[in-house]
Amino acid sequence: MTFRRVLVSSVVLACAALASSGPAAAASASGVSVTVAPLRIGTELGRNVLVHATFRNNAPSATGSLIAHLNVLSLRSGVEVDPEDWSTHRTRYLGALPAGGSRTITWKVHAINTGKIALYVAVIPQAGPTARPATGRTVQLDVAGRRTLNSGGILPLALGIPALLGLMTGGIQAARRRR
Amino acid sequence: MDAAVPAPSSRRPARGWTIVGEQELRDLWLGGRGLLLGVAFSVLLSIIAYLTATNQALNFLEQRESVNLTLQVAIAVGSLLALLAAADAVSGERERSTLESLLLAPVSRLGITSGKLIAALSLWAAAFVITIPYVWFLGRGVGLVGKAVLLGLVVGTLLAVFLASVGIVISVFASSNRVSLSVSLFLLLAIFTPTQLPSSAQKGWAGELLLRLNPVTAGEHYVGKIVVNDHSWSEDASWLLSPLIAAAVFSFLAAFVGARYMRLGRRASE
Repeated sequence: MTFRRVLVSSVVLACAALASSGPAAAASASGVSVTVAPLRIGTELGRNVLVHATFRNNAPSATGSLIAHLNVLSLRSGVEVDPEDWSTHRTRYLGALPAGGSRTITWKVHAINTGKIALYVAVIPQAGPTARPATGRTVQLDVAGRRTLNSGGILPLALGIPALLGLMTGGIQAARRRR
Repeated sequence: MDAAVPAPSSRRPARGWTIVGEQELRDLWLGGRGLLLGVAFSVLLSIIAYLTATNQALNFLEQRESVNLTLQVAIAVGSLLALLAAADAVSGERERSTLESLLLAPVSRLGITSGKLIAALSLWAAAFVITIPYVWFLGRGVGLVGKAVLLGLVVGTLLAVFLASVGIVISVFASSNRVSLSVSLFLLLAIFTPTQLPSSAQKGWAGELLLRLNPVTAGEHYVGKIVVNDHSWSEDASWLLSPLIAAAVFSFLAAFVGARYMRLGRRASE
């Protein structure tokens, strides 16, 4: 009884797996390789760097339409990274790649926080989002600190400009009264 | 304008709008009203700049946002000053009983309207000049100064021309100065309301259409995209369409209404 139940459930599971993997396999990103360059980048806070990714179709037939996506994360906990701030237009629609064909995409990445940041590129078929994505190697981005704001210098400015304008107002009013 | 318009020089006849403009500027700036507004404006910017600059936890993007905030406040408040000055332009003269002498002066009504518009816009110009040191301080570390100043000049001037022209139109038709200022302030609040909508309400075609049609929200959206998101000038240029059209249409409308409908009062117009 137990054996029959196990057999039936195994057959049902196998059928379900076959049914779900059928269309995804047809549109799979397998056969597409992703090469990213450079693999290690050192920069400073606020600077822009370029990351290039080349997508090559190694399969004997053309792929369906592909979508490439750049992701950004911090390698250290406690550093909050919002990928949208780092690169606008992170998702790119590549279209189809012919057999043996390739396409290179360049992302401009803006260093928003200091620290060790990882970037990776994934590509999935547009028609089969359940397919396993193909990914490139991780790019390590080392962002060094840079002093961009002198907080000590704001006080003379914040007090000086209203004071200067106030003095001008007072001076003009005094001159008018004298006249 | 407190005094009658001075007679044009016999040697070189000055254009009417320059005479009115000069007299209005003198009243506004030498009378002290403009400078007092400038002091209040600089205090506001000082508070914003101090709070953002002393925040040690600012990351790079937030620093760009602080430049954006300063610029947007400067544009909004500078335009508000221009609107308030323009809203007082005709109704104020009428209420102070100086409009009659102004209308009797050998200056066309178009000249009077243009001169008053220029005086109102001088408040925006002063606000912009006051903003420059703050933008320089906050933006120099992130290489944003030139771009932010130019952007503020372009977008702020378009919005100031639009709002000052609206103020003139309201002032010409308003029965009293109080009505003119109230309607202008109400209109300004209505125009700024979409900026307070939650971001979810600003998405979708209807939300985007509303933001695009409203010159203030469209202009501020354009500023934000360039300053914060580092977009190119051309990438979101379509957002400048509404401020551009509004400035052109309403400045023409102000000139037309001023020339055609400027009257001493309701009875005089009947």
